[in-house]
Amino acid sequence: MLKNPKNKKTLKWLLIAGGSLLLIGLVVYFYFATLSHDDTASLKADYTVEAIPFIKEFEKDHKAANKKYAEKIIAVRGIVTTIEPADTTMNIKMADTTTGSYLIFAFQDQHMAQAKKLKPGENVLIKGSCSDGIYSDILGTYFISFKRSTVEKN
Amino acid sequence: MKKIILSLMIATVSMMAFAQKKTSTSATVSFDATTPIDALAKAENKTGIAAIDPVKNTVQFEAAIKNFAFSNPKIQEHFNQKSWLNSDEFPKATFNGVITNPSAVNFNKDGTYSVTVEGDLTIKDKTQKVTTPATIIVAGKTLKTNASFNIKLADFGVEGQPITAGKVSAEPKISVSADLN
Repeated sequence: MLKNPKNKKTLKWLLIAGGSLLLIGLVVYFYFATLSHDDTASLKADYTVEAIPFIKEFEKDHKAANKKYAEKIIAVRGIVTTIEPADTTMNIKMADTTTGSYLIFAFQDQHMAQAKKLKPGENVLIKGSCSDGIYSDILGTYFISFKRSTVEKN
Repeated sequence: MKKIILSLMIATVSMMAFAQKKTSTSATVSFDATTPIDALAKAENKTGIAAIDPVKNTVQFEAAIKNFAFSNPKIQEHFNQKSWLNSDEFPKATFNGVITNPSAVNFNKDGTYSVTVEGDLTIKDKTQKVTTPATIIVAGKTLKTNASFNIKLADFGVEGQPITAGKVSAEPKISVSADLN
């Protein structure tokens, strides 16, 4: 079959096309497989809010608040109420002491050391990716979770 | 006589302290669906809510689906999308169970106890029975607990090409740990 020069040419092009497709596939796979989240410190906040009014928005209408804030970068100014160990890391909470509802911030690895310096009672600005606000049947309060947070100012 | 009354009061106060429900708002829930051909399907949620009631022997967990943090943003997007966990419509996973061998743990005495927990795990509005061994460490007024078990994604209506292609485990491992006060 390969003695025919036409067939040889077809095979050559098939090999080139197959090799190119494989290469493109590998590049695309490598691109997606190595994607990582941006450093939150380098991202512009979609909203800058005060902790207690922000909590109140979720208590008033959590569906509307989630539509507005979920998966957005939010900078929150408020008082640190609690610092909690979370496995080998820690979380910062800002709570509305009148209702018990709270914001909870999990930190990006590179900003953990800075977060560990915070103390309860400190007024801080924390920026993070707002996951959503949910009513807890266990606690009977709303909790609004943040991931990949960073301390902006303290 | 005074000493006896004082001892009784101390005992009563310490028992009352432990009779209260212990909770955590920083429980860690890990999801590991990695396979030999793909190590990306792995996430942690460090803001879970956990509660143990030492009197009723109940165990509860809640975790916001959207707060599972993946290292890869694309995988995180897929995890939350409608055909997978559909976190917009079903924003949390819950577990409500009991310690089936409560005599195996003494909440009033420091120590490490092995218990069995059985209950209902609800994900995507589908509830399945889960039975798992768990460890409870009593340290003063704090309880530390951890447990690991596997779930079948299909039981919770989660199916798709990444599972059939072997890139995501059909039976991921769920690990839960919490310090409860």
